[in-house]
Amino acid sequence: MKNILIILLIIAGIRVEAQNLVEGFVTSTKGDSLPGVNVYLKNTYDGTSTKVNGYFSFKTSATGNQTLVAQSVGFKKREFPVVFNDGPIEIDIELKEAIDQLNAVTITAGAMEASDAKKAVVLKPLDIVTTPSAMGDIIGAFQTLPGTSTVGNDGRLFVRGGDASETAIFIDGLQVGNAFGTTASNVPTRTRFSPNLFKGSFFSTGGYSAEYGQALSSALALNTVDIPLRSQGDISIMSLGGGYTQTLVGKNNSITASANYFDLSPYQSLIKQDFDWERSPYGWDASLAASQKLSNGGMLKAYFQKESNGLKLWQKQPGEAGRGTLIGIKNKYTYAQSNIKLIGKNGWSYTGGASYSDNLDQFDLDSQMVSQQNRLIHLKGVAIKDFSDAISLKTGVESTWSSYQETLVNEGLSRDFLDQRYNVFLESDYYLSNQLIFRGGVRSGYSVLNDEFWIDPRASVSYKFEHEGQMSFAYGTFSQLPLERFRILNNNLGNTEAEHFILNYFISKSGRTFRAEAFHKSYDNLVTFNGYNQAPEDISLSGQGYAKGMDFFYRDRKSIKETDFWITYSFVDSKRKFDSFESQVQPSFAPRHNASVVAKHYVSFLQSQLGMSFSVNDGYTYTNPNLPGEQNAKTKSFQDMSISWSYLPKPNLIIHLACSNVLGRDNIFGYQYGQEANESGLVPGMPVVQGAPRFLFLGIFLTLSSDKSANQLNNL
Amino acid sequence: MKKYTFIIALYFIGIVNLMANDSAYVEAMKSQLEKFEAAKSAEDFQAVANGFSRIGEMNATEWLPMYYTAFSLTKAGFRTEGVKEKDAFFKQAQDLIDKAVNQHGENSELVAMKGYALMGELSVDPGSRGQHMSGLVMNTYRKALSYDPENPRAMILMAQMEYGTAKFFGQGPEKACGMAKKSLQLFELEASTVNDNPLAPKWGKDMAEKMSQQCQ
Repeated sequence: MKNILIILLIIAGIRVEAQNLVEGFVTSTKGDSLPGVNVYLKNTYDGTSTKVNGYFSFKTSATGNQTLVAQSVGFKKREFPVVFNDGPIEIDIELKEAIDQLNAVTITAGAMEASDAKKAVVLKPLDIVTTPSAMGDIIGAFQTLPGTSTVGNDGRLFVRGGDASETAIFIDGLQVGNAFGTTASNVPTRTRFSPNLFKGSFFSTGGYSAEYGQALSSALALNTVDIPLRSQGDISIMSLGGGYTQTLVGKNNSITASANYFDLSPYQSLIKQDFDWERSPYGWDASLAASQKLSNGGMLKAYFQKESNGLKLWQKQPGEAGRGTLIGIKNKYTYAQSNIKLIGKNGWSYTGGASYSDNLDQFDLDSQMVSQQNRLIHLKGVAIKDFSDAISLKTGVESTWSSYQETLVNEGLSRDFLDQRYNVFLESDYYLSNQLIFRGGVRSGYSVLNDEFWIDPRASVSYKFEHEGQMSFAYGTFSQLPLERFRILNNNLGNTEAEHFILNYFISKSGRTFRAEAFHKSYDNLVTFNGYNQAPEDISLSGQGYAKGMDFFYRDRKSIKETDFWITYSFVDSKRKFDSFESQVQPSFAPRHNASVVAKHYVSFLQSQLGMSFSVNDGYTYTNPNLPGEQNAKTKSFQDMSISWSYLPKPNLIIHLACSNVLGRDNIFGYQYGQEANESGLVPGMPVVQGAPRFLFLGIFLTLSSDKSANQLNNL
Repeated sequence: MKKYTFIIALYFIGIVNLMANDSAYVEAMKSQLEKFEAAKSAEDFQAVANGFSRIGEMNATEWLPMYYTAFSLTKAGFRTEGVKEKDAFFKQAQDLIDKAVNQHGENSELVAMKGYALMGELSVDPGSRGQHMSGLVMNTYRKALSYDPENPRAMILMAQMEYGTAKFFGQGPEKACGMAKKSLQLFELEASTVNDNPLAPKWGKDMAEKMSQQCQ
C-alpha cells in the first residue's frame, strides 16, 4: 500500500513537471518559411530551432506566464507573452526583416568603391597597385574605371567631360590642396600620396553626398589605414630611386615613418627620351603616420608629409628653331592632418579633423622667376546619429581658409588673396526595407571673398531587386569656386555650377560585377575670358555647357581560372563654352569614346602575377587655326598597352617589372600652334607628344618582419 | 504520512536544486555538445548554435556557450553554399567572439576561434581575400599562442593556414608539417592533463592527425 502511495506520489510529482507542448510556424512578413530560427522560452533552457518549413515544436515544464522568443539573424527579434494552462500552445510567428546595412541596398549611382569590407565594390585596394598602366599611382588605377578619360599629357583625373580641377580629393574626409605634383605643361603628373597609406577609397563620378563640395564633377575620398597589421620594415629599390618605411605596431597604437628619394637622371640617360630634359625630375619625400585606438571603438590619427622636387626642361616652341624655352620648376609641399573618431551614447558618433596643405612652386620661365603659393586649411566636425537601424542623420560644419599668392621675383611684384569659406551640411539615410533606401541632403556654403551664399540640394534613391541587382538614381547640384589664377584677377567671381542626373544599374554576384550608368550633367557660370590662356582678360562667369552619356563596366574573376579582368567603356558627349572659346565646343580633355581592359593572371609555377592593361579613345579635339572654327580637328586615336610582371620568389620579396605602351604607339594629345602665320600663310604647329615611347619600371620590394610571410602588399 | 511529506518535500527541493544548480548548465552543455558531435549539415550546426545560444542567455557569466555558438556557426559556414550565406555565418561567429571578449576578456581559445572564423571568411574567396587577410589570420593565431603556447587548437589551425600559404607561394610544407607535429604533441599533453572543467574545448586532434598523415 505504502509503496503504491509512493509510486502515485512520484507520478504526481512528474505531473508537476508536466510537459507542455509549444508549436507553430515561423514565417517572414513576406510569407516565406524561415528555417533555423531560434524559438525558446525566456529564462529557461527550453527551446528549439525551426525546420526547413518553418515548423517548430518543443516541450517545456514551465508553467504560468512566460515569454516566448523568436530570433534569427537578419530579422528583428520578437517576444510574445504566453500563458501555460493545461494543454499545448499553438502560435504562428511572423518575423520582420531587420535592416542589415552590410547586405542591404546601397546607393551605387555615381559611386565606385574600393574596399575590402563593403559589398558594392568595384575594386579592391590591392587592385590599385597591381594595375599595370597605373605604375603604382592611385589615379592611374582609377583611369581604368568608367566615367574617366585618360589624358596622357596631364595625368590627373578627368571625369565625364569635366576638367581635372573639377575632381576634389579628400583624405579621411578632409580636403587636400594640390594633391598632384607640380609639373610643366604637357608633362604628366602623379598623385603625391602612396597607395600604401589607404585601406579603401570611394570614387564618385557624380551625384555624390552632401558631405563633399567644391567639385563640379567628381569626389575621390581616400581612407587611411587604421592600425597596420604588424611591425615591419619595407625596403624599396626602384629604377627611379628608393625608399624605406618602418612600421611599429603596439597593442592600441602604431607609428609609420617613411622616406623616399627619386631621380630620373640615370634612367633617362639610359633610355632615350623625346622630351629635352636639362635636369631630369628628382625629389624626396618623408612622411609620418600615427594612430591610437581610443576606448569603445574611437580612433585618433595624425599624418604628416613633406616633399620637395624639381625639374628643368626645354620646351620647343612651334615655328621656332632651337631648343625652345627653358622651364625650371622647384616645388615644396607640406601636408598635415589629424582626425578623431568618437563613439557616443544613444547612437551618436562624432568625427572631427583638420588638414593643412602648403604648396610652393617656383617657376623659372626663360629667366622670368615666378613663385606661387597655395595654402589651405580645412576644419571639419561631423555628428552622426543612428535613430534606428533604418534612419540615420549626418550633419557637419566646415571652415576652409585658402590663400594664394603669386610673385614676380625679379620685379618684386606680388599679389594675393585670402578666402574663408563656411559650409554646413545635413544628410539623412532612410531604409524603407533592405531593398529600398532614400538619401536626401543639403549643403550650404558662404564665401567671404566674394560674399556669396549658396545652397546645393542632393538626393538619391536605390532599389535592390530579388536577383541581387540594384537600380539607383541620383540628383544634385554642385558648386565650385573658380581656379585661383582667375580669382586673383577678379575677387568677385562667384561659383561655377553643375547639375547632375544619374541612373545606375549594378550587380555583383559570384565573382562577376556588372555596372551600367547613364548620366546628364549641365554646367552653368563657367569661367570665360578674352585673350590668351596665360594672360586672361575680362574674366566672367558666362560659360555653360553639358555632358551626357553612358558607361559600362564588367569585371570577372570566375570565368577564366586564376584570371581577373575588367572591361570598361565610356561614352561622353560633351560641349561647353569656357575659357576663351566663343561657342560651345567639345573640350580637348573629353574624348567621346573611351575604353579599357585590365587583366591579371596568376601563374603558380612561376610564382608570378602577369598583368596587362589596354586603354583606347577616339582622339582629342583641338583647334587648328588654319581651318575655320574652334575645336575643328581631332588627333588620331590614343592607344596604350601596358604590361607588368610581379614575381614573388619569397613571401617577403616582390620583384615588379612594368612597361607602358609596349607597342610603342606614337600617341599625340593635341597640337600646339604659334601665334602668327609664317611666310606661307600658315600658322605653324607641332604635336603634343609623349615623353618617351615607353616607360619602363623595375622595383624590388623587400619586407623585413618577424612574420616571414609578410610582404608589402599585405599592408593594403 | 510524515514520511510522504518528507518525500514530497525532498522531491520539490530536488527540483529547485536542479534548477539552481550549475549542473543544469553543465548537463545542458553536455547534451548540446553531443548534438554538436552528431551534427552534419549546415542546418544541423545552425540548430546546435541556437541551442548553445539559449544556454548562453541563461548563463551570462559563462564564456563557453558563446565560444561553442561561434564554433557551431563557423562549422555551418564551412558547410553551407554561396558567398553571402557563408559570409553571414562567419561574420556572426566573429561578432560573437568579439562580444565574448568584451564581456569576459580575451583568452587563448576565444582568440583561436576568432582566427578560425576569419580563416573561414578567407576561404570563401582566397583569390581576392588572401592578400589582405592571410596576415590577419596568422596574427590572430599567433596572439592565441601568446596567451597559451600549449593551445593545440591554435597550433593546428595555424599549421593549416601556413600550409595554404606555402602552397600558394609554391614552397614546401615543412614548416606547416612541423607545426602539425607539434600540435599533436600538444594534444597528447592536453589529454594527459586533468582539466576540472568538463566543458573545456578539446576538439581538433582529428585535424592534426589528418594533416600529419598528409605530411608523410
